[in-house]
Amino acid sequence: MSSRPGAARSLLWVSMAALLLGSACTLSLPRSTRTVEALRISEVVDEGDPARRASNRLVVKGLDADAAGAPERALGIYEEALRVDATNPYAYLAIARHHASGDDPSWALSFLDKADALFRADGGPSPRVQPHLVGLRGQALYASGRIDQGLPLLEEAWQTAPDVWTDGRLDAAELR
Amino acid sequence: MARALAVIAAVLGFWASSWVLEQDQVVRARFEGRRFAVPSQVLSAPTVLYPGLDWKRIELPETLERLGYRELREPGDPTPGRYRWGRGRLRVHLRAFDHPSRREPARDVEIRLAGNVIDSIVERPGGGEVGMVMLEPELVGAYYGIDEREQRDLVRLEELPRHLSDAVLAVEDQRFESHHGVDPRRIVGAFLANVKAGGIRQGASTLTQQLVKNFFLTPEQTFQRKFTEAVMALLVEARYDKEAILESYLNEIYLGQRGSTEIHGVGEAAKFYFGKRASELSVSESALLAAIVQSPNRLSPHRHPERALERRNLVLDLMLEQGRLTREEHDRAQAEPIRVATITPEVGESRYFLDALKRQLPEVYDSDVLAVEGLEIYSTLDPRLQRAAVQALLNGLERIESQYPELREEDGAKRLQGCVLAMRPQTGEILALAGGRSYGESQFDRCTQARRQAGSTFKPFVYIAGLEPRGSDPPTITPASLLSDTPLEVETRQGPWTPRNYDHEFRGPVTARHALEGSLNIPVIRLGMEVGVERVIDVARRLGITSRMPAVPSLALGTAAVAPVEVARAYSTIANGGIRPQPHTFEDVVAGGETLERRELRFERVLDDGVAYLATSLLEGVVERGTGRRVRAMGFQGPVAGKTGTTDDEYDLWFVGFTPELVVVVWVGFDEPRTIGVQSSWGALPIWVDFMKRAYGTRIRGLFPRPPNVRELEINPETGAIAMVGCRVTATEVFLRGTEPQRICDWKSPNAERAVDVDRERRPRRGGFWDRIFGR
Repeated sequence: MSSRPGAARSLLWVSMAALLLGSACTLSLPRSTRTVEALRISEVVDEGDPARRASNRLVVKGLDADAAGAPERALGIYEEALRVDATNPYAYLAIARHHASGDDPSWALSFLDKADALFRADGGPSPRVQPHLVGLRGQALYASGRIDQGLPLLEEAWQTAPDVWTDGRLDAAELR
Repeated sequence: MARALAVIAAVLGFWASSWVLEQDQVVRARFEGRRFAVPSQVLSAPTVLYPGLDWKRIELPETLERLGYRELREPGDPTPGRYRWGRGRLRVHLRAFDHPSRREPARDVEIRLAGNVIDSIVERPGGGEVGMVMLEPELVGAYYGIDEREQRDLVRLEELPRHLSDAVLAVEDQRFESHHGVDPRRIVGAFLANVKAGGIRQGASTLTQQLVKNFFLTPEQTFQRKFTEAVMALLVEARYDKEAILESYLNEIYLGQRGSTEIHGVGEAAKFYFGKRASELSVSESALLAAIVQSPNRLSPHRHPERALERRNLVLDLMLEQGRLTREEHDRAQAEPIRVATITPEVGESRYFLDALKRQLPEVYDSDVLAVEGLEIYSTLDPRLQRAAVQALLNGLERIESQYPELREEDGAKRLQGCVLAMRPQTGEILALAGGRSYGESQFDRCTQARRQAGSTFKPFVYIAGLEPRGSDPPTITPASLLSDTPLEVETRQGPWTPRNYDHEFRGPVTARHALEGSLNIPVIRLGMEVGVERVIDVARRLGITSRMPAVPSLALGTAAVAPVEVARAYSTIANGGIRPQPHTFEDVVAGGETLERRELRFERVLDDGVAYLATSLLEGVVERGTGRRVRAMGFQGPVAGKTGTTDDEYDLWFVGFTPELVVVVWVGFDEPRTIGVQSSWGALPIWVDFMKRAYGTRIRGLFPRPPNVRELEINPETGAIAMVGCRVTATEVFLRGTEPQRICDWKSPNAERAVDVDRERRPRRGGFWDRIFGR
């Protein structure tokens, strides 16, 4: 019987701590952060020159394969997309996503570098792509043990595109 | 006496039995090994067709023909593997195919064309527009083990039309079904015919004997060999049924020559002569194949159609006589003219590529495994680019020899050689590899196995070492920095070394850009010594050079011996914005639908993208104004960067050129180094341009993306100072942000030298070094 008031007190303390922590987190969020609806590659399949359009169609097929649990097949399709257009940043983004969720997430970083460079060369990346670049880098760093580097990036992605980055990872269907 | 005879008979009997048993073992081991061995095939990537694609450039009609698609001339919907041209449209029923990354269903599509471009692709029936479709991969080659220069497509007897085996039996061995490996009637008949003719005119070999000869024996005409052949034929007949023997024969028989590759078997021959599968052969076509068995080259329907027609008709007559054809079938077949497919050159001497691929495969896939396991290897080879590479190399070497006849050698082993290698810089895929003039003459691959001095193609690595910031320190140079082109003497272990420029001239102070564009030796040696040879080696290693590099000042001139594939990789790293790809020749190895090996795309950033861009910009200058300007003079437009390389005594000629999507290395030289007497811009560069024009026409797409940490400024190219109003000469130059010149050239400060001095003062390490070395 004597333990019951103690348990209730503990529960109260935990609740208060959680409340305070939540408030602190909320307060720490930059209120000026604008959220965006993160880009899905299926939205851009009709953009760019013919090679880019065909390449992006393949990227979408690859994401379908990834979403259907066929990662090897997906990777093969992404590579086909690169054969059609080796400068397609979306293909590198999709491969980076594939690796960030895979066994060796650090491999995602060089693909993100490449995607980033190509987006920048095209005058981008657009605000709707940026959360993916930031979030995937964070996901890859976090998953490969570089938590201190990965966490702030994940938080930035979450703040910018909460629709897809709330869970700290990007699913194939969310990029599709 | 009788006992002695009995002993002799027993010994002879024992010896004969042992010999027959030995032959039986040979027959079993070789026949079964050969019969059931399925060579591994190497395939290209599938061809993707999509609206906007230039269908003429990708040679769509030729590709369909190579894939065995047949044009349909009669009305009706095309069945899989058939196509029909209409006005401005191509209706094609694509075949289904399996690929490691996809299973493509058969699709009947209409490709609407607008000039050279695919306008749209519409599915039939239904009319729905599709974004893209795929053609199955092309066969690049296969691994046959014993003789890699044989090409065959194995077929099963049950897949073949009856009239094909009937045609072969009618002319080669009409009593095949009834004899036991040796046909005494035929031997007698042939003997009489030959006596009558006064020489050997008619063979007596049965089909089984011919098979035995091909499988086990040499072609020499000796009694011993003929006897062994007969015994082995009897053994084969005793051990195997007629269907198995006939199937082996049809897969084994030599049926012609494509370049240096022998065509063996009716499967491969059907594709070679008629562009179709053996199962689709008509009576007339089957008779033609049977006709040429006797002497495929003398009766070649490509070269001697009249001889081939005459013998085909003889085969048809024999088939009629032997009741294998009805009169109506005979007459209809005989009325058909000989229609053979255009000779499609084998995928441009792809044997060098196949060898390179074999060397890249894990060790478990040795020659024996590849020859029998029937693997499907999906390669990176682009057949169209491969043909372009081979053709450009052969034409280029011929051109050099016709201009300089003293270079021409009759001995194949001593001829002028070369290499063309094309790599996709983003992925490291080797798209084309021509490792020499003729695989038949020499199997040594100059692209991956040769190590030759890099010459001036090495110089960009020295400039990159200078352009790259070291930690928080600024870089040693910018593209606008002045380097000294004045007499130089370097102390070496072998004594003083006084390098010279190729023209023995000195130009005084020159910008780094000007020095690289003109491929000047003195400035790059000075720069190499300033940044340190170890640092140059570090840069070259990071970019992708793996060969040993001597840590000596002359390394800056490319004295290290490297393989062209290493040079391709290093330049790919530059073209790819500092991300180093892994060169590779295959993607997947598949057996029975299961992927055994997969080559994952991997790369690594080894150089800042800004520095890679500066290097690219300098190399664009080489093509615009420098030693590579013949690229433009020869009419090739678009974003191109490149570097010439001619080694001491003109032993080696190089040109490495790249576009945003392709790096191509060309090397020309003798295997046993000797002077060529030609500059690379006249020897190697034209081969590069020829290849690019064949592959892409005269203009290519894309651009080299400029990263944000690089900015463009107008400068005075003579002094490297920022150009303001009033500056006499200006040019656009690129700089890493934070390394822009600090002085300006304008009407207020006409003294350009002063501007340069201050620029140099900003980098005290450099002045200090020169002071230390040269006491200046």
